Amino acid sequence: MAYTTDKGAVKMTGAPAGRGSSVAPAGRMPTGVSGLDDLIDGGLPSGAITVVIGGAGTGKTTFALQLLATDSDAQPGILVAFEECADRLIANTSGFVWGGDALPRSVHVIDAQLSQSVENGGEFDLVGFLAVLHAKAKKIGAQRVVFDGIDVLLDCLGNAALARRELFRLRDWVYQSGLTAILTAKAADAHAAPQAEYAFLQFLADCVVTLHHRTVGGRALRFLQVSKYRGAAHSANEIALAITRMGLEVAANTAGERCFTVSNERVSTGVPRLDAMLSGGYHRGSSVLITGAPGTAKTSLAAAFAEAAAIRGERTVYVSFDEAPQQIVRNAASIGVQLASHVASGMLRIHSLRARSESPEAHIARIRALLDEEGTRNLVIDPLSAMTQAGSETEAEDAAIQLFDLAKGAGVTVVSTSLLGNLTPFLEHLRFRVSTIADTWMHVSYEIRAGERNRSLTVVKSRGTAHSNQVRELILSEAGIALADVYSVDGEVLMGTLRWEKENNARRLREAAHQSAVLRQRKAELALSGIRSQLDALTREQSIQEEELSQLRAETTLEVEHRTGEDLELLQRRHADDAVSGPPLDTHGGSST
Amino acid sequence: MSLRLRLYVAGGSPNSVAALANLRSALQLVAEPPAELEIIDVVDDPERGASDGILMTPMLVRFEPLPERRVLGNLRDRSVLLSALGLEERHE
Repeated sequence: MAYTTDKGAVKMTGAPAGRGSSVAPAGRMPTGVSGLDDLIDGGLPSGAITVVIGGAGTGKTTFALQLLATDSDAQPGILVAFEECADRLIANTSGFVWGGDALPRSVHVIDAQLSQSVENGGEFDLVGFLAVLHAKAKKIGAQRVVFDGIDVLLDCLGNAALARRELFRLRDWVYQSGLTAILTAKAADAHAAPQAEYAFLQFLADCVVTLHHRTVGGRALRFLQVSKYRGAAHSANEIALAITRMGLEVAANTAGERCFTVSNERVSTGVPRLDAMLSGGYHRGSSVLITGAPGTAKTSLAAAFAEAAAIRGERTVYVSFDEAPQQIVRNAASIGVQLASHVASGMLRIHSLRARSESPEAHIARIRALLDEEGTRNLVIDPLSAMTQAGSETEAEDAAIQLFDLAKGAGVTVVSTSLLGNLTPFLEHLRFRVSTIADTWMHVSYEIRAGERNRSLTVVKSRGTAHSNQVRELILSEAGIALADVYSVDGEVLMGTLRWEKENNARRLREAAHQSAVLRQRKAELALSGIRSQLDALTREQSIQEEELSQLRAETTLEVEHRTGEDLELLQRRHADDAVSGPPLDTHGGSST
Repeated sequence: MSLRLRLYVAGGSPNSVAALANLRSALQLVAEPPAELEIIDVVDDPERGASDGILMTPMLVRFEPLPERRVLGNLRDRSVLLSALGLEERHE
């Protein structure tokens, strides 16, 4: 049990203590959780013991530190850290306005980690510890003290009887010293209200607060419940909490903020055909998860998104857990995704974080700080699954959910990748619940057929989008990322060479069909032109005949007229009687004589 | 190699009293060359406990021979104690 450093000497005096510092009713200690004190009778009981129980990642330490940071100038406080080292504990709060480097100087964090290097040499007690603590509290004028991770200490005490004895000792010391004490204890299950655990601790305490979270409709909801409050009428209802930059807040208070502005705007995925598959791209402000085995081009898809965003002139933060910034830029360039100029212009900022160095909570805090920078519209996290390397899976999952919530609240589109093997929804659902929380989930996998490995992409789900349910082949080349149609033959998907063969076959068939059509067309044209020329000849024939006919007719008429004239002349010459009926030819002269 | 030890105790608490007694009796069995033993009561001098990084008591620290070793508790288990002191139990 090493008492190494007194982290009390944390920089900054500018306490964020404005909030929650309103005068509390006598005997109440405001929690600093905005909106909570009104619901729990003005705060926690002061000069008494409050036990905070919750599963991993439910915000116990945040709750305790937030209380200490509130009004800390007037009421200095001590946090004794049994579970985590002081540095990490403080780093985990750096995303809050009151946390990290901004944690007030009057909040003293004492490292009391039960170091592995201490050997167990029999029973011990808290007499010496409380003496040291008492001196410290007196020296700084502490009004409140937090025992963070009291369960770890109790475990070390060895057995339940000893634990009870020392808890009584602790209680007596708290009452004698007049301090307000908060003990946090870890429950086994983060998702249920931990009523049954730490029965003795709950019996001992004057006030019991439980914290838990659960996912409702794909949203992670946090709850606080006051299950015991000695000497006060209180509601044991669940109070919904939210985690914001202010720390923990009652969700009802922040409802306005948290009612995410849902956008219909689409942002490009950076891959035109993928945009088409998703009816235009990702929804602005939505969360996207790309899962797949190593080397399935998850990072390439993320980089393509980042490039498209930067080209649109939107500030984009790329957080990488795997690779250095230069490596990402170089690798992206090899598939035609050019990031270098956007990094140079500052439009794209690439941050490489070490997955193992910090807890998921600390990563969240850092990413939150990055998002707070002016005008960030897009966030890439590659890979999200790296966060599971530090801390437990529940913690990582919780962190991921927080991250999605955070980004959504800020209207930031977040594209994250995650390492996953084969797509077996039920298993994956258990493994990484995040996939159900993301708005869009795409899976990239290798298909091995006919001696080739080809990448295939499936849109598993995309909320609020009529998306294609077809598998596409993902093709990476220097020209960029492309998606190709895949052929399904006997229920199997064809890709790579098989697809190419299939495409070739189809093309040949198409060409053959085309050629025969051309041939038939020519034949028809020929036949038609034959008919036309026949028609022409006939028309010509017709007009010739018509001409001839009219000529013949004309000739016939002339002949008749000629004949009539000849006849008359003949009659006249004969002086024939019948000439009377003819035109009078000198008939008067003849009769007058 | 001589032993250099420090025992942090808390006043007259039963565990602290027991730890001192157990340590002394163990040292009587093996104390050649004589061990150097310093006793610090953190109830009398809490600042000392804080500055030395000792919160829980009773705590035995062996400074020499190196490496440094720390044993928490009343030292009732003789074998743990002797092992921490770097000594083998004598069977007479």
